[in-house]
Amino acid sequence: MSLLSRYAEDLFWLARYIERASNLARIIEMHMAYDRGRDEDVSWAWLVALHSDQERFAKSYGDASFANVIRFYVADLGNSGSVRFSLRAARENARALRAVIPTEMWNHLNEFYNRFLIVTDSDLEPIRLWRTCGQIKDGCYAQIGVAESTLYRDEGWRFFRLGLMFERADQTSRLLDVKFAQLATGMEATAQAADATFWSLVLRSAAAYQAFLRLEHKGGDPNRVARFLLVNASHPRSVAYSVMQIQAMLHDLGSGYGHRQARFAQEKVEVLFELLQSAAQEPDLVTRLHEINDNIQRSLIGLTDELGQRFFGAAPPDPTPPPDEAPSQTQSQSQSST
Amino acid sequence: MTEPAASRSLSDYDPKPFFCELTGRTGSEAAEQERIRKRLDGMDTATLMRRAREAENELFNLGITFTVYTDKDAIDRILPFDVIPRILTAREWRHIETGVTQRVKALNLFLWDIYHDQKILKDGLIPPELVLGNGNYRPEMIGLDPPCGTYIHINGTDIVRNREGAFQVLEDNGRAPSGVSYVVENRHLMQRAFPDLMRGLKVRPVSDYGEQLVRKLSEVAPAGIDDPSIVLLSPGVYNSAYFEHIFLAREMGVPLVEGRDLIVENDKVFMRTISGLQAVHVIYRRINDDFLDPEAFNKESMLGVAGLMRAARKGNLTLANAIGTGVADDKAVYAYVPKLIRYYLSEDPILENVETHICGTKEGLAFTLAHLAELVIKPVGESGGYGIVVGPKASQIELDACRRQIEADPANFISQPMIDLSVCPTLVDGQVEPRHVDLRPYAVTGQSTWVLPGGLSRVALKRGSLIVNSSQGGGTKDTWVLEEAAS
Repeated sequence: MSLLSRYAEDLFWLARYIERASNLARIIEMHMAYDRGRDEDVSWAWLVALHSDQERFAKSYGDASFANVIRFYVADLGNSGSVRFSLRAARENARALRAVIPTEMWNHLNEFYNRFLIVTDSDLEPIRLWRTCGQIKDGCYAQIGVAESTLYRDEGWRFFRLGLMFERADQTSRLLDVKFAQLATGMEATAQAADATFWSLVLRSAAAYQAFLRLEHKGGDPNRVARFLLVNASHPRSVAYSVMQIQAMLHDLGSGYGHRQARFAQEKVEVLFELLQSAAQEPDLVTRLHEINDNIQRSLIGLTDELGQRFFGAAPPDPTPPPDEAPSQTQSQSQSST
Repeated sequence: MTEPAASRSLSDYDPKPFFCELTGRTGSEAAEQERIRKRLDGMDTATLMRRAREAENELFNLGITFTVYTDKDAIDRILPFDVIPRILTAREWRHIETGVTQRVKALNLFLWDIYHDQKILKDGLIPPELVLGNGNYRPEMIGLDPPCGTYIHINGTDIVRNREGAFQVLEDNGRAPSGVSYVVENRHLMQRAFPDLMRGLKVRPVSDYGEQLVRKLSEVAPAGIDDPSIVLLSPGVYNSAYFEHIFLAREMGVPLVEGRDLIVENDKVFMRTISGLQAVHVIYRRINDDFLDPEAFNKESMLGVAGLMRAARKGNLTLANAIGTGVADDKAVYAYVPKLIRYYLSEDPILENVETHICGTKEGLAFTLAHLAELVIKPVGESGGYGIVVGPKASQIELDACRRQIEADPANFISQPMIDLSVCPTLVDGQVEPRHVDLRPYAVTGQSTWVLPGGLSRVALKRGSLIVNSSQGGGTKDTWVLEEAAS
């Protein structure tokens, strides 16, 4: 018996939302833990710019103070890009999947979510925030681990992995664009020494700091950091690694399970992969990151639509070109249960 | 050796004057119940309370909940669970099992008859208007032959026990009886929370319900289909019983689908999968008749699938339960079930009915109005315990209002004597006290009937209350059917 289209889509989005919450939590955690010496009241507008959320943020908050930005991204259910929204969406997807995913996955997510529901304002204060975010991140890691340990390896598993890797490619690619977002929001260009701190923070935000040091003893040359996060084949959060995993999953679906419609997505992934390879050749990669991120985002949106059409049974989307700056994609309204 | 009085959970327990499910038996069965009673008594109340609290936390975190949706969020609530089990001896269970099986058989024969030749109406055993004028009678079903003649594949029989300990049927549930998930989950919970209470006891298992259900539904697959594709059709995550739907699909190993996952083409049913459309042969549906097929019934239904009735009529689809079974579990038709058993099976009913007065008849109405303060009055069309007036406990104002309602629409009411439901020790506010219980065994029928040992024991948590429905503050208990004692 083949997998229900709705299950495929829900598994894809379950993983995406978990991965999204974990990335956001890690970025905040790392900035709280390692970015000492900045003025907390002025330095968080970049997070809004990074997610292209300026308009939505301004509508409900105005001032991009530390407290406002943190509230918007951690606790605000009205923000479809917040940790809280992502976890709830993940849980709603899991709820719709409860008959098919192992009870261990649901139990863990449900407990994790119930714990998160009792997060209070004081958990969002600077002194506690890194711990709060660390717990969220760990909860997400654990959910992915439970899936790895218990989820049946049929097509459903491939869609779960696809969601995970789509979101990971998306998030790491965005992370490389932080510098642009910071400059764009009026933060001053940093001195050479501070720049090294900045790039080590980017690495930490991708959980890649230690792996990078093992490879590059001399530390953070910005171009090398960017190249590592973009095309390193062995780090589980690099864009290239994620894209290779996407390739592998599509190959399984196409050749292993005979879903020949996977080839349309496979072709698009080839193009994305070439884009990464040529980016890696750039001598001054750092100056091109904003443009590269745009291209990756566009490509991922196209791929998500491709899956929607070929596997999830969605009507073909409007052929309007994707916007220049893409906010995080959310599950389509018709399928979303939130 | 005597234990200190403070540690005994049952030291103040007094069930009188009701039949007690833990202490009420005499003769050879008294020894069996005494073993469990002693164990329970040996636990102190504080331990019981601690374990009860842990068990409720577990239910919440496992998501064994029903969900109440508000504008802003989904609120998960657990059905209150009482940790003190309800016991049935092997002899008692044999009686219930054969009685339920007999009853389901008669109801299925009745449904076949009224949707075919209507012999029972011609023979004058039951007033035709009670059947043909019933809102749940579906003329669309006339002439349709469900496989094995089974209409009610899943049935829940609500059974109570009177002061003398005799079992009586209070109600049949032949549409989509719910609650079986709690039977299985309650057992799992008890096994974790009270291994010491169960140790060495031979309690009949309940965890193979899903397997049995698949087996029975396979028996009633459309003709010519050997390995049927079975699905469970749910209204979706917003339904308050969604947990049960998940549970059933999971235990059966079948897809849990919603209306939007299915489509009918050329009178055949398909589901949308990543490989395209795949055939579906049997649907265990948890959507009411009205909302099941907008083409045949309620046009506004967004939950159903257009064309299911067509597919069923063509013999390409088995719906479980069949459409139109609601006429058989109607509270007024209920009064005739003992007659149906004699008529179709030429047997005496194994399980008694509760004496019932149909206000739609002249004698029934007269009797009811004359004895209003002694009777329990029930609206025919309601379920979930709504609208019930318990005469002996009602105020004069309530009785007067009830009288006016009956006089305005007699056919909508029945009355029954107040049954002194049996009680079971129950942990309430840190004390073990008697509380009234009922029992809903689940019968699954394909070619033949299988009854899940035990069933759902519902308990009225309010002191003195006789209404066990969860919507009226009821909870549940694990039900232990003891194996035959080795002789």
